[in-house]
Parts: sequence; C-alpha cells; structure tokens
Amino acid sequence: MREQQLQDILRHMPAGVATLQGEALRFGFVNEAMQAVLGAPVQEGQAVADHPGTIPADLLDVMQQVFRSGRPYVAKSYGIPLPATDDQNPTPRYFDIALEPVREGDGPVSGLLLFAMDVTAQEEARQKAHHLAIETRRLDTRLRVLTETVPQITFTVDADGRYEYVSPQWYYYTGQPPTADLNAIWPLLIHPDDRLRVLYQSDSARAAGIGWSYEYRLRRHDGQYRWLLSRALPELHGPDQAVFWHGALTEVHDQRELAEALRRGEAELRFLADSIPELIWTATAEGFIDYYNEYTAEYSGLTKAELGPTGWINLLDPSEQAGAARRWVHSIATGEPYEGLFRMRRHDGRYRWHIIRARQLADERGPRWFGACTDVDDQHRLREVLQTQYDELARTNRDLDTFVYTASHDLKQPLLNLRGLFDELRRTATFDDPEEGEIVGMLDQALSQLDATLQELAETVEDQRGLSATPETLELRSVADEVLLGLRTQVQESGAVIDLDFAAAPTLTYGRANLRSILHNLFSNALKFADPTRPPHIQVRSGIANTGQPFLAVQDNGLGMKLPSHRAPVFQPFARQHPHIAGAGVGMYLVQRIVASRGGHLEVSSTVGAGTTFTVHWFGA
Amino acid sequence: MIHIVYMSRAVRPLSDQDLQSLLDQCRRDNAARNVTGVLFYSHGNIAQLIEGEKEVLEPLFEVISRDGRHSNVVKLVDKPISTRSFKDWSMAFHPIEPSGFEALQGFLLPHHLPPPPSSLSIADAMLVDLVKLAVFGADATPSEPTLAHA
Repeated sequence: MREQQLQDILRHMPAGVATLQGEALRFGFVNEAMQAVLGAPVQEGQAVADHPGTIPADLLDVMQQVFRSGRPYVAKSYGIPLPATDDQNPTPRYFDIALEPVREGDGPVSGLLLFAMDVTAQEEARQKAHHLAIETRRLDTRLRVLTETVPQITFTVDADGRYEYVSPQWYYYTGQPPTADLNAIWPLLIHPDDRLRVLYQSDSARAAGIGWSYEYRLRRHDGQYRWLLSRALPELHGPDQAVFWHGALTEVHDQRELAEALRRGEAELRFLADSIPELIWTATAEGFIDYYNEYTAEYSGLTKAELGPTGWINLLDPSEQAGAARRWVHSIATGEPYEGLFRMRRHDGRYRWHIIRARQLADERGPRWFGACTDVDDQHRLREVLQTQYDELARTNRDLDTFVYTASHDLKQPLLNLRGLFDELRRTATFDDPEEGEIVGMLDQALSQLDATLQELAETVEDQRGLSATPETLELRSVADEVLLGLRTQVQESGAVIDLDFAAAPTLTYGRANLRSILHNLFSNALKFADPTRPPHIQVRSGIANTGQPFLAVQDNGLGMKLPSHRAPVFQPFARQHPHIAGAGVGMYLVQRIVASRGGHLEVSSTVGAGTTFTVHWFGA
Repeated sequence: MIHIVYMSRAVRPLSDQDLQSLLDQCRRDNAARNVTGVLFYSHGNIAQLIEGEKEVLEPLFEVISRDGRHSNVVKLVDKPISTRSFKDWSMAFHPIEPSGFEALQGFLLPHHLPPPPSSLSIADAMLVDLVKLAVFGADATPSEPTLAHA
C-alpha cells in the first residue's frame, strides 16, 4: 500500500524522476514529468543509450561516469533543447539535473537515480539581468566618454549643494589638482563680484526644486576670470522631490565680449546720432519712422510718440505736405533715394528751410531707411538775397547796354545834322585866317571821329547782345520755352498760367537773339504788371495777318494802362507806365527798335484793370 | 472718437471662403458697434484702419490683437479724430475667383480702392498709403508723384 502511494506521489511530482538500472542504464521507473523532458515515450527496460530522447551525448557520458565512480553529480541550469510541439517552436529549457548513484546495501553501484528540475524561468531571468548589466555598462561608458569629451564641464549637485560629480574638464579648466576639495574650492574660484549672487541663485533654485541658468566669471588655470554659463535641471524622485541637479558649464566669454562690443557700438552710434545738431531718423521697410534722434525732439518740441510713424509730415509747411508725402510713398515703393527742400516748423513756430534726404540700406536684415534733415535756412536766405541782387544787376546791365545802343543810334541823327550844317557853313563862309582853316579841318576830323565812335559803340553792343545775328528759321515753341525757362522763378512765384498757341504760324525767320529779347521783354512785362488780386494768365498766339505777314500777340490779364492819344510815346526810353514796379524803362523801347529795324511795328491795346495785348507785326506790309 | 491702424501677419493664408466669412462677420459686428474703416489683405499681410468711440475701439482692438488667426500685430496709430473718414466698413483683397465677389457689399478690389479721404490729415493719409503699399506691393498702388509743371 505504501509502495503504491509512494509511486503515485513520484508519478505526479512536478520534477522529473527516473531510475536507471545496471551498467547499461536501462530505464526503470519514469514519472510523467520525466517523460515530458525526454520527449519520446520510453519503456521500462530500454537502455538510455538506445533511446536517449532529448538527452544530449555529453549528459549520457556523465551518467556513465557517475555510475562508474559512484560519486553523485548535480548539473545546474543544464540546457536541453526540447523538440517543437504543435504550438511551440523548439526552445531550450533549463534543468537542474541531479545524478544519484543507487547501491543495494553496501554493494557496488547498481543504478542511477535521475532528477530533472525545470529552472527555465530562473535561467531566463538571470540571462536577462546579465544582458541588462552589459547594456548598462555600455551606456555608462558612453555617457562617461561623452561627458568627458564635450567642451563643457558637466556636474551633479545634491540637494544640499554638494558636488556629487564633476567632469575632468573642471580640473583642466581651473588647473586644480584631482585631490582638490570641490565643495571648498569651487566658490573661491568664482569672481568676487559674482560669488554671492551665484551662491544665492543656486541655493534658491535648489530650494524651489527647479533648474537654473545664469552666467558668472570663473577663474581659469591662468588666473584670468572668464564668463561661463551655468545651466542645470533637477532629477526628480517622486513628484516635486528633486534629489540631484545635473548641469553643464559653457564658456560664453567671447560671445559675451562680442555682444558687449556690439551693444557698446550701437550705443555709441546712437549717442553720435543724438549728439548731431541735425534731425536724424530711421524708418522701416514699410516707410514708418521707428527712430528719431534727440535733436528732432529738441527742434520740433514734440516727443517721439507725438511724432509717430508718419508725423514728420506735420512739421512741414502745409502747402508742401501733400507733395512731400507723395514723394515719400514713391520712394518707399521704388527704393529711390528721397530728397527735397522743405520748410520745417521749429518748436517756436518758425519755419526754417531744410534739405531732407533719405537712403535705403538693403542688407541681409532687410531694407531700412536712414534719413537726415539738414538746416539750410541761412544758406537758403542768403542765396535768395544774392539771386535778387544778381537779377537786379543783370537787368541793370542789360538796360545800360540798351541805353548805349539806343543812345548811339539816337545821336546819329543830330550828328548827321551837325555834319550837314558844318558842310554848308564851310561851303558858304570864307576864312581869311589860315589858322581858322586849320580849325575847320580839325572840326571836320572831330566830327568824323565822333561818327566812328558812335558806330563802334552800336556795333559793340550789337555784337555783345547778338542783335546783329543773321536771320534763321526758328521754332517759336522752342524759343518761347527757352525764354520761359529763364523766367521760371517768376512764373512759379506768381502761379501764372501760360497758354502757348503757335499752331497757325509755328516758325519765324528772324535773328535768334532778337526774337529771344522780344519774347523776354513781352513775357516779363506781362508777369511784372500782373494784377495782384488774380494769378496771371498769359495767352501767346502766332498767326498770319491779312497782309500775309506773320504776327505774334501776347495778351495778359494784368493791370493794363492808359494809352496816350498817339502810339509812339508809349515806347519812349525811360518812360515807365508803372513807376512802383522796378525797371529801367527801356525794355519796350528796345523791342520797338528791334522790330522797326526789320521794317515791322508794335501795336498795343489795353484796358486799365483788365489787361494789355501787344501785337508784334514782324515785317512791313 | 479715435482711430486705430495696425498691421499683422495671417498665421496661415486665408482662402476665399475665409475672407468672405471674415467680411460678413466684421460687417455685421462693426455695424452693430458703429465701427467703420477698411481692411486690406494680400498674401498673408493684413492691415486695418478702424474708427469709432474710444470705449468701443479699445476693447475691440484687445480682442483683435488676441485673435489666433494672425500674429505680429503692430499698432501704428491710436489717436483722437474729429470726424469719421469712412462711411461704413469695407475690405479689399485679391480673391482667387473674383467673379463672385464683385457684387458683395463692402468688398473692393485693391486697384479699385479710392485714394485716402481728404478728411484724413496728410500724415494719416500717407500712413494709409504706406500701409496699402506694404500689403499689396508697389504694383497695385501706382503712386507716381505728380510734379507741378511750370
């Protein structure tokens, strides 16, 4: 009964149990678990060497030896490849195998007891742990190589601020021996000006359980203090419980110096711009002013905020604002430089002339505009005064020439009379005294000299003024434009409207200088004698008269004049219709002389307060 | 009464449909709040001039500047005005398919935009011109200076 019970227990044991009998090691008792290990079913009495199943050759060999020597043997974690089953691939399974020699009493070994305990799970766990250890070692090595290769100093600090680890770079950098006490030395190497701040910042970051990032100066091995950036992050064990801080120190000395130099350079440029007594500003690519220098505020009496992105326009004279704005928008659209002469309002309300210039700078930071307003008020006023004086001088000079010209002509007739009278006298009178005859000869000579001098005078002026030039075919339009160009200041100032209509007779054969002189006189008179209550409107028209000869009419809407009963006196030299208006009074006289010298004549009609029309009939009918 | 001018960049390009719904929404909201003005849009560039009562406009601008559809909001002008320069609220942009938009209330093609109203100061009119130029580029806004001819 007990035998039976024991057999049942052995049969159902989770470990494999088998007995091997005799020298041939024939299977005796084999329980279910051992059957599974062996793979193929075995029969009692079969020799294990003939039906080894899954048992490898080396184990068979060991079995023989144990039998012979009688010494038990245990093989730990012995791998036996189990054959594939329907749902499993062949996998090595691991067993602790015990071989126990069996003796009958004190006799020789008669068989073996074979135990096989499945330890596959343990073995797999052990192998996994082994691989993990290898991997960890590999990662650890890699991390160490990396931390010791990067240029940064890496470190680990615990919650109390004690250094757990610092990479060797720290020793290279600071020149401290490897035996140095990190916690004692480190604070001493920080620049005295930064030390307290650094200690406080790191302390408060650790207290708050957060990372940090700050810069400080650390003494290098050569004694120089260099700027470093210290950054660290906490390692959290559990929520909000930081145990270590891992970080790195990066040298930022050169970047910092460079940034400092840039900041200094920028500050110096700004200081320079603020020190210049000119209005200096910069604008964005879109044309909005983003910087005005100090002087702009000083000059305008407005703050930068009051001026705003386009407020500079408000500083200009109201009549110039629209044009200046159009031109600025045009410059922004095309990138063309901006330049203009404008009156700009000072803080006291006075307007001063400024040249506003701006240019676009286009580089990798995108286009921007740089501008300056230069005060040219004094120069401008001086130039205006000079221009007025120059104009006056030029006019006086011209008038004097004209005077000489006309005077030499006008003296010719009296001289001719004098010559006639003298010849008559010489013919009718007799001179007894030979000395008197000499006087008559001298008188004759003097008269001839006077005649020659007058002739020369007239010719000189004619040559100088080009009045004696030979006639050529002239485009009235181009000569008139030329003359108006010379008068553009007066035209602009008065806001005159001038209509030129040369369609009926576009060309004229005449001396160029003469035509220019005539047009100049007629146009400048029309502008000069304008009615101050209305802008001048001058209509110029050429045509062919009934006589078949060309004419030119210049009609204005000016003051007009009272015409004397007969025509000639209007154009007497020095006769001035409007004494309050500047002029030498010889202009129209000269026109009349020129026209008359070609056989033409000048016609005038006028209404006081309505205007005057001059008609030049170029040639005699 | 004040007016505010700002420029910004759309976070992503707005489609015709986006633009139309923006137009509808703004016209409805602005009419209710008595806000007038004009909005320019092209290739992600946005610029807007709005005018209205200070108590309405300032919170409105707060909402606008926080709108997630655009970023880089730069306020150019925020100042008191005496009169409105725009009689309602309108919007100018280049739709991909313009035919459907021509008839829409408050929609303008950029090259049909009228010049800035004369009720604006010259400095403000120039600002609107510059903003238009920045949004639509030089082609859409011919701005050849008309030089006084002697």
